[in-house]
Amino acid sequence: MAQTKIYLDDAIPSPAMKVWRVFASKPQALAGLWGVGMLLLLTLVGHYLAPFAAEFQDPDALLLPPSWNSNGTVEHFLGTDDLGRDIFSRLLYGVQLTFGTAVAIVSSALVVGVIIGSISGMMSGLKSSILGHLLDALLSIPSLLMAILVVAVTGPGLSNVFWAVGISLTPQFVRAIHQTVHEELQKEYVTAARLDGANALQIFWYVIMPNVWETVIIQTTLAVSAAILDIAALGFLNLGAQAPQPEWGTMVLQGLDSFLTAPWTVTIPGLAILLSVLSVNLVGDGLRSALTPMRN
Amino acid sequence: MANYLIRRLNLFIATSLLLIGILFYATHLFPVDLGYALSGIQYPTDAQEAQIIEDYRLDKGSVRQFLAYTGERLSGNLGVSVTSKRPISEELLLALPASFELAFVAGLIALVFGVPLGVIAALTHHSALKKFIMAGTLTGYSIPVFWLGLTLALWFGVKLGWLPISGQINLLYEIRPVTGFMLLDTLLSDSPYRIAAFRDALLHIILPAVTLAVLPFTVVVRITRAAMVNVMGQTYIRAAEARGLPYSKIVLRHALPNALIPLLKHIGLMLGPFASYAIVVEVIFSWPGIGSWLVSGIYQRDYTVIQSGILAVALLIVFSSILIEVLYTLANPLSRKEFYGSN
Amino acid sequence: MPLLDIRNLTIELATPHGPVRALERVSLTVNAGEVHGLIGESGSGRSMLARAILGLYEPNWTITADRMMWDAQNLMDMNRQQRRSLMGEDISMIFQDPSGSFDPAFTVGQQLLEAIPPNRKLPFWRRPQERMYLAQKWLHKVGIKHPRKVLSSYPWELSEGECQKVMIAMALAKQPRLLIADEPTASMEPSTQAQIYRLLTQLNQLQNVTILLISHELDTLSNWCNRMTVLYCGQVMESGPTADLLEQPNHPYTKALLDNMPDYTNPKIHKILMPTLPGSVPALQHLPIGCRLGPRCPEARRKCVTQPLLSHYKDRYFACHFPYQSEPIEDDPLA
Repeated sequence: MAQTKIYLDDAIPSPAMKVWRVFASKPQALAGLWGVGMLLLLTLVGHYLAPFAAEFQDPDALLLPPSWNSNGTVEHFLGTDDLGRDIFSRLLYGVQLTFGTAVAIVSSALVVGVIIGSISGMMSGLKSSILGHLLDALLSIPSLLMAILVVAVTGPGLSNVFWAVGISLTPQFVRAIHQTVHEELQKEYVTAARLDGANALQIFWYVIMPNVWETVIIQTTLAVSAAILDIAALGFLNLGAQAPQPEWGTMVLQGLDSFLTAPWTVTIPGLAILLSVLSVNLVGDGLRSALTPMRN
Repeated sequence: MANYLIRRLNLFIATSLLLIGILFYATHLFPVDLGYALSGIQYPTDAQEAQIIEDYRLDKGSVRQFLAYTGERLSGNLGVSVTSKRPISEELLLALPASFELAFVAGLIALVFGVPLGVIAALTHHSALKKFIMAGTLTGYSIPVFWLGLTLALWFGVKLGWLPISGQINLLYEIRPVTGFMLLDTLLSDSPYRIAAFRDALLHIILPAVTLAVLPFTVVVRITRAAMVNVMGQTYIRAAEARGLPYSKIVLRHALPNALIPLLKHIGLMLGPFASYAIVVEVIFSWPGIGSWLVSGIYQRDYTVIQSGILAVALLIVFSSILIEVLYTLANPLSRKEFYGSN
Repeated sequence: MPLLDIRNLTIELATPHGPVRALERVSLTVNAGEVHGLIGESGSGRSMLARAILGLYEPNWTITADRMMWDAQNLMDMNRQQRRSLMGEDISMIFQDPSGSFDPAFTVGQQLLEAIPPNRKLPFWRRPQERMYLAQKWLHKVGIKHPRKVLSSYPWELSEGECQKVMIAMALAKQPRLLIADEPTASMEPSTQAQIYRLLTQLNQLQNVTILLISHELDTLSNWCNRMTVLYCGQVMESGPTADLLEQPNHPYTKALLDNMPDYTNPKIHKILMPTLPGSVPALQHLPIGCRLGPRCPEARRKCVTQPLLSHYKDRYFACHFPYQSEPIEDDPLA
């Protein structure tokens, strides 16, 4: 029998497609995604695009204003700092130090956090609460204090930033995942799966994990923006990346000496930080609003 | 309920011990002599050295050492500062109130402006206004605080010259510390210029407080908005409307209290980042609080300052977050719902 | 003179898929002093109609009506403020989720006291006492044994039945002329359900409160209502006195509903298939044109693609091109 279509049927989109549609319907979220994509790309190839080397000092072009200023030149598009280094090139090199480090830190914190969080979430009773409270104690040390402690032990440098920010981010992941896993464990469908004879590992992977990814994704975007801000703040306080390195926060600190005469040495790296954090946050915001209606 | 309070107290004690443990471990890792790291005396006399070994049980096992360390720190012996040679506890007591003052004013600004703005963002049908508020808060959330502080200082402090950008008060005023809160001390002092001093202190606090308030402000706006939107969709708001209550009464009496409950919870979670930001702000505006004290401590490798500063701030955060949680439970009938029926 | 008279009320929802007519040309007449039942499956727009009467719109609703009269006042002409004061004085509503209808942050007593209008004749210092007295009186009237204890408890400390009783007390405290009860007994056990319905009928008879009772259960409604209106998919199918409607349904949908009612009297016919209409309720995005029952209706013919107008015969109204009215039914309709 020939099937006649009485109703105009919409194809039902897959959950991932739905999320993408809601996400893509927001221009600001898409703009953020483009920004993050650009940053990721620049992390990889920024070195090759920069017109000058990061430490190259042009003695004829000290404190040159950006090109749109009447005194500026196009060669030094965003101007130069007090040593005659090209700010644009330094920003391109800095993507790897600021954004790249942030992504690296968050990925490692994520892996550790997911492992510890899932284990402690699946456990119950004393073991779980010991793990949880141990991390609560770590969580109560703000990232900057943690960094100060790490620097006091090992001395300043970018590698310490890795440990400091990583140690302060991991408990957040653990806590978020622990709580989600714990909440999911209480639900009826887990009991149903258990009655079907699923063992703990199967319950964890096939039943609980699909509901935890959402938390993981949201937490990750939050963590990346926090990590960028922390790295930059540590650089600014001279506890992170050290002087000649073109880390953005460090660049702000170096620009501070000539802040009054040449404000762009501070403004432009600051804007770079602002824009990258903003694009990460826009993506996070878009994801959150795309994922939440699915939960309800 | 008593059971609950005891559990929270236990949590506080356990977390504090853990923190002390972490610091104790870190002290061993400091790249200097252990006695120096513990006491802050670099070249002790023989008598002092014996005293240090006696105090911290350096000749015993690590468990005894830890107990001794905990005892010394909790009884208020934080060692002496390497740079100023003064006892840390004295310096800490000077720096703490200034930090409290700044944090309090910033928090007040964030709440006073943030809650109404969040409510407006939730209730307005004006989509441009809503978008403007949301975009503004997202930007505020993304600004690096040191850069914001510098920019504000450049504009309002240097270019316009309206506001002072450094310190707590003009040093010409001699104010005797009574409470440690400069705004109160100026009013309490018997100097003939106390009103002028109060004005000066007020002007000094504006820039740092506003800079520090940006982060909590944006978070407060967003949380309030989300909570308000959620509450306004609940049946009891429909029911209140159906009962013919005026709109203002529904919002202020029924929606707002329910929306503020999640806000309180989030304030507890926000303390850590807030403390980080406060440290940066204190450094930028040379605010004589615990943050700038701590950062100058790390620049000078003043190990006793670092230890006790971290201990004090972390303990404060643990204490306040547990306090907020307890207050939340006590003040909020909804959280008692969980106890209801469970015991 | 009807208390509430609605003609051709249409509500359009703005959805991402374009506008959807959730209610189409709904007419409803409620006379003073009666218990009027509004029956329909979930999603048929019953609650929406109730909210439209109260003026509790969402921003994405567009409401049009030929007339919407409340006691000779046109509701469509009123602004939000006037509607609200009218609701405060004359119309009350109780919801299907009683415990969710209370603000969880306040005690039941605080909310009940808030609902009692102040007595302007008394000096202000006597008012609190008077209100307290009234609150207890109303709670007692709706059958709550320990008014004081209930007054000082939080909504989540009460059972659903108790909450609903307090809800009714709250609605009655204003002494309204119309009480809209939207599924007042959802998620309650039968004994509590019966209590609530009995309470509502008592109120109707003793206090002369007109009641608009919304439900999906024909058998309960037929026990308690004087008149009924049957709604399907946002259209009125039939309306009339309960007894007549049960005796001889004019509309195929009403007949189908009646056929669905289980019959325990004839032991021979148990274990037969339940005579339901073929198909299922269409989704809001895919509503058929004309009479929305069309695709499922046993009597449907070509003419049904135009929406039938509500025709009037004696005391009854129905919207059907081919009603069961002309042919008298001799055999038992329950078979």
